[in-house]
Amino acid sequence: MSIFEYNGSALIAMVGKNCFAIASDRRLGVQLQTIATDFQRIYKVHDRLFLGLSGLATDAQTLYQRLVFRHKLYQLREERDMKPETFASLVSAILYEKRFGPYFCQPVIAGLGDEDKPFICTMDSIGAKELAKDFVVAGTASESLYGACESMFRPDMEPEDLFETISQALLSSVDRDCLSGWGGHVYVVTPTEVKERILKGRMD
Amino acid sequence: MTKQQANWSPYDNNGGSCVAIAGADYCVIAADTRMSSGYNILTREYSKICKLADKAVMASSGFQADVNALQKQLAAKHLTYQHQHNKQMSCPAMAQLLSNTLYYKRFFPYYAFNVLGGLDSEGKGCVFTYDAVGSYERVGYSSQGSGSTLIMPFLDNQLKSPSPLLLPAQDAVTPLSESEAVDLVKTVFASATERDIYTGDKLEIVVLNAGGIHREYMELRKD
Repeated sequence: MSIFEYNGSALIAMVGKNCFAIASDRRLGVQLQTIATDFQRIYKVHDRLFLGLSGLATDAQTLYQRLVFRHKLYQLREERDMKPETFASLVSAILYEKRFGPYFCQPVIAGLGDEDKPFICTMDSIGAKELAKDFVVAGTASESLYGACESMFRPDMEPEDLFETISQALLSSVDRDCLSGWGGHVYVVTPTEVKERILKGRMD
Repeated sequence: MTKQQANWSPYDNNGGSCVAIAGADYCVIAADTRMSSGYNILTREYSKICKLADKAVMASSGFQADVNALQKQLAAKHLTYQHQHNKQMSCPAMAQLLSNTLYYKRFFPYYAFNVLGGLDSEGKGCVFTYDAVGSYERVGYSSQGSGSTLIMPFLDNQLKSPSPLLLPAQDAVTPLSESEAVDLVKTVFASATERDIYTGDKLEIVVLNAGGIHREYMELRKD
């Protein structure tokens, strides 16, 4: 079994009309055994920037701690929040530092940039950025997520519509993957508010 | 001294995806027409769909040489059946035959991932899905092949088949109309073509209903 499939994970980020949504499953497992059903995979870096980390859970937590540290330092020095594009470059650089002994994580970054323009990107475990205009996916269920998102996505969705779409895509995909599931965690972010919702899906 | 490993495999994977959906009085079977080997495209116009009997149509992805051998075997056995029983095989009967034929080669399998679609003796749509060694199940819809992991979750979402474990047993066939099911198949293949490199070129759709067999084609992305 691959090290990326040790804990199990599923992550999506989707772009809407002046908003974005980022969603994850809630399972933490050790191979076939489920350890936790409320595991947090998506972290808030600041009000307009969210980071999801899939892959090995210990590396995800360590990486998050390092990135939050770097962002706080940035805030002290620059007296402002990091732009999503800048944060993505930071994550990429930190991952590539460990090129020959990498963090076994695949991050998904979603944020609102200048003029409230939504920004999403993902990268592989050594920092190769993939910018997308519609959606990005990561985790053990990634193939299923690609299929579901490709079929369900429409451009310029309103926040409520975007929430429905990303939730349906997440739940249908994790139902076909034994290592992810046990519900969902969805954040829908607009320039004015952040709405966090928990989804109940098949609890297996 | 480490054990010597074979550097030649009798199998190859020619890629592609197949889908079948069962309706109240119809069955839709579809597959793309791309045949590949590794990163090369061998042809853009290869049919993966084979009519086994009047009411049973099979779509197979995997190793097409094995698929052809399998189709030949089934055609021969079907001909014998027709001589002996003076009628065509029904779809459930063909389903069992396919399972037995696949298991016969349990220790050197046909590298073929099949979906069998057709009409049962009541005229209702039926779809059977198989693994490479003949394990099969009657379902409301299924997909196999390189794009199946991309296609299945969306079919689950749109067709919401009830669990086969429920009592009393609930009908697995979809309440969608024939044209809605065909549209769903077209959508699903367009999405799979975007993200799966082995799926594309053209989509072949076969619809079986009381009126007979109807075939149509749709262009897909060629990259």
